[in-house]
Amino acid sequence: MLVMRRRAGESFLIGDSIEIEILEVGPTRVKLGITAPANLGIARKEVVLTRAENITAARSTDPQAIAWLSRALEPALSRSVKSLTARSSPQAPENQ
Amino acid sequence: MPKLLTRYFKELEYTEDAVFHFGAGIPGFEEHTRFLFIDQPHTTPLIFMQSLHDPGLCFIGLAASLVEPNYRLELTPEEGVALGMSYAERPEIGPELLPLALVTLTAGQDPVANLMSPIVLHLGTRKGIQAIQLGSPYSLRQPLAAVGQVAPCS
Repeated sequence: MLVMRRRAGESFLIGDSIEIEILEVGPTRVKLGITAPANLGIARKEVVLTRAENITAARSTDPQAIAWLSRALEPALSRSVKSLTARSSPQAPENQ
Repeated sequence: MPKLLTRYFKELEYTEDAVFHFGAGIPGFEEHTRFLFIDQPHTTPLIFMQSLHDPGLCFIGLAASLVEPNYRLELTPEEGVALGMSYAERPEIGPELLPLALVTLTAGQDPVANLMSPIVLHLGTRKGIQAIQLGSPYSLRQPLAAVGQVAPCS
């Protein structure tokens, strides 16, 4: 991995056509400006990963596997109900 | 009462107030903005997230707390607004906010649940989002084998 240090207002190039400028550096986040050809897709990595996982999840359609999973999770369910009850009791009064 | 053709439950009747609205859809399925969450006794604890736009699209979900008993959710004020809350409200898991982990079943592999990008439902406003948890310790593919006596899918 190439590592470089840059300040706000500085930029760097990837190839001839992609420029990334550091616009702002905050305590926990940096703001970047990206100039790139329109045909290049730019997306946040976590959204790309989530999209791919959603597409795989949507293919989880084997009814037998689903029925099996439901049965296999029953012991976990009884444990979880107990822990939910324990956790929600301190805030029992309902917020309207 | 409107009827819906579903992937797993044939035809179901539903009322409009049972529908959850996802203003932006979810990544990969942006055009799907209306879902029903089907929770049937014989499929407990699975929750089926059925698209109202396509009978063929139905995700399988689990309460995130079932996968990770101490599951913590961090939502930004913007995500709270997308759930129909005011900007000042602090969105937290409670009686109104339910995080679900979508499950992926792949033949020959352990079932996994997505704790990094939970589906979050607001039971009051009937709005939902997929809230990606940045910087969280949670996995996009958390094996369910750790939950119970779950063996790999055959």
